[in-house]
Amino acid sequence: MTDPLTPSEGLDALSLDRRSFLRTGLGGALFLGTVSVTAGLSGCATAPAGRLGAVAPRMDARYQFQFLSADDIELLEALLPAILGSALPEQANNRRIAIAGTVERIDMGIHKFGPANQKELRQLFDLLNFSLTRVTIARVWPAWRDATTEQADAFLQRWRSSSIGLFNSGYMALTKISNVAFYGYQENWQLSGYPGPPDWAVKALPQFRKA
Amino acid sequence: MSFSDRIAQGLESGWKVIDGATLTENHTAEADVVIVGTGAGGGTTAEILAKSGFSVILVEEGRLYYQKDFKMDELTSYANLYQEGMSRTTKDGAIAILQGRCVGGSTTVNWTSSFRTPDETLNYWGKRFGLDALSPAAMAPWFEGRETRHSMSPWNMDPNLNNDVLRQGCEKLGFSWQIIPRNVKGCWNLGYCGVGCPTNAKQGALMTTIPGALDNNASMYHGLRAERLVMNQDRIESLEATAMASDGITPTRVTVTLKAKHFVVAASAIGSPGLLLRSKLPDPYERVGKRSFIHPVNASVAQMPKLVDPFYGAPQSIYSDEFNFRNGVDGEAGYKLEVPPLHPAMSAGVVPGHGDEQAKNLAGLPWMQSVIALVRDGFHEDSPGGTVSLRADGSPMLDYPVSDYLWKGLRSAFYTMAEIQFAAGADKVRLMHLDSDWYSNWADAKAAIDRFSMEPHRVRLFTAHQMGGCAMGSNPEESVVNGFGEHHHVSNLSVHDASIFPTSIGANPQLSVYALAARNSSRLAQRLKA
Repeated sequence: MTDPLTPSEGLDALSLDRRSFLRTGLGGALFLGTVSVTAGLSGCATAPAGRLGAVAPRMDARYQFQFLSADDIELLEALLPAILGSALPEQANNRRIAIAGTVERIDMGIHKFGPANQKELRQLFDLLNFSLTRVTIARVWPAWRDATTEQADAFLQRWRSSSIGLFNSGYMALTKISNVAFYGYQENWQLSGYPGPPDWAVKALPQFRKA
Repeated sequence: MSFSDRIAQGLESGWKVIDGATLTENHTAEADVVIVGTGAGGGTTAEILAKSGFSVILVEEGRLYYQKDFKMDELTSYANLYQEGMSRTTKDGAIAILQGRCVGGSTTVNWTSSFRTPDETLNYWGKRFGLDALSPAAMAPWFEGRETRHSMSPWNMDPNLNNDVLRQGCEKLGFSWQIIPRNVKGCWNLGYCGVGCPTNAKQGALMTTIPGALDNNASMYHGLRAERLVMNQDRIESLEATAMASDGITPTRVTVTLKAKHFVVAASAIGSPGLLLRSKLPDPYERVGKRSFIHPVNASVAQMPKLVDPFYGAPQSIYSDEFNFRNGVDGEAGYKLEVPPLHPAMSAGVVPGHGDEQAKNLAGLPWMQSVIALVRDGFHEDSPGGTVSLRADGSPMLDYPVSDYLWKGLRSAFYTMAEIQFAAGADKVRLMHLDSDWYSNWADAKAAIDRFSMEPHRVRLFTAHQMGGCAMGSNPEESVVNGFGEHHHVSNLSVHDASIFPTSIGANPQLSVYALAARNSSRLAQRLKA
């Protein structure tokens, strides 16, 4: 998907906040831009998880991941409880199913984003998954699989309230793809009090009739 | 109840519609005119030329979706009908771009608002860009013709409460408001215009000009991406296009070469400059992709004491132009006030937040009301617009820096929207800004807006109207096409979409696109016959 040897074009997207980054003393945008390259070369699993992999037991075995890697899935499993909060079911099995379904729908959505935005998201996910940048930039010490919901929430709050536009942008990307995939899903419509398309219209329209 | 699905019937009757995904071998086809894009501009052009007896080939990158596919579901519609699966943004990610990508283009997913180009805008174009021929009087018959063709008239049912709150607030504060003209015929007042009209009531390109063209022997490829126009000496000889797989996004190896006497580009204000840049057409003054405008939109949400059900009913029926031209056409940034429909995924994407707080926000959706402000950009030297350029893979991207002039207009719009919502009886108001809380009275909201830092990302910004990038004008040094959409430097190329606007419109642009495309296509038909 991402060619690890091509200098990332995201450098361009990052350059807007280059000065802010230099001010933070984190080593600047160049460092950030090389994350995908480094992550790729070090063999981090940036290939789509497909049907198998470490996360398989927690996911529906029939679903074929097209974009998310095993690492991305672990990241989302750590973030979703913090992003969705009390909207997630409490009962353990229902909660697991709701999270797995949301991760799948995020993957389906990203597939339709097309190559350019996939590349941007690949950089964001690699930055969060790569341990050095996870610690220095996201300021999350444990691996995502070991992170608590409080740690995930604190990370989201930091990126939301940061004065660095790029972090705000990362916060919006992560919460938007998650919130849309979750609240937009028919089984979750009731959480926003949305009854769905009016029954009378569904009954009257040919496209809802079973062939 | 009988259903008249024009697309299903037309396909049955033998329309020449080719799905790029079904092509297995490279091939070449030829026509009098090749049109890139099937939205407001492309559809209008195709129908007029086909009815004038020319052979026409339409090319659409998105796929053909119609009634059978329009099931009032946000997730599938956003994924299939919108550019980049609804994830398109400006270069820095700070402005979300809502734009159609399917047969009918944005007219398939717009909220049906149908405004004439304001007189102030047309007069400004005359004065500033030498476009005197587009005076309000000269354009009136073209607007009228398109209003008839697309069944546009002021909405004659009661507005839903979401829209009525805007009316009530304006009434209380003494601001003007009007009823929005909509392009619908036999509308069921359901509220799903943005995900593909489920009843075929919307009279966008999909229900009007596209069937009109196909009935008159035009052929249409969908799932086919226009890669580049190929020049031979001073004329374009062919269009090279790539077929897309049935997912709509993966290119197959099949290429199609389309030859024609004349080429019309109508691929949107992002797509058209992109195609011209990829084709490396003559551009001696480097005008292609410059002066791109978007009507930057900011938003406010309110919690009302009564059920709003903002997901039901005609999405846009009330507007206010109180602040649109208040400071003159080229004074401080003006804005039009409208209302957006709120379905769960749209709301979850627009209202920023996470965790228990976000769960609570969305649980309040049935009582939620929203106002949006569309800022009129491009009429002031401090509003020079953005730039469309190409990514390494050749895809177009819009860079749109928000100037201090625009930030000022956006802050002013925050005040206006909150004031209107409180005047209409809102219990609480929240501005779409990362630092905004819910405020329970106008004074608190006002004090908070005073302190907002107006910065990219912190202010949530959107655009549903992309304009400019192939500007028309009498002076080739500052424009790409003349007042008839004819390219200044390539004799057999015209541009017939919103990319030719030299500024933004100051109103939802579909009727402006239809009318100019109709005018310029009639002229083109005469020219080609000569």
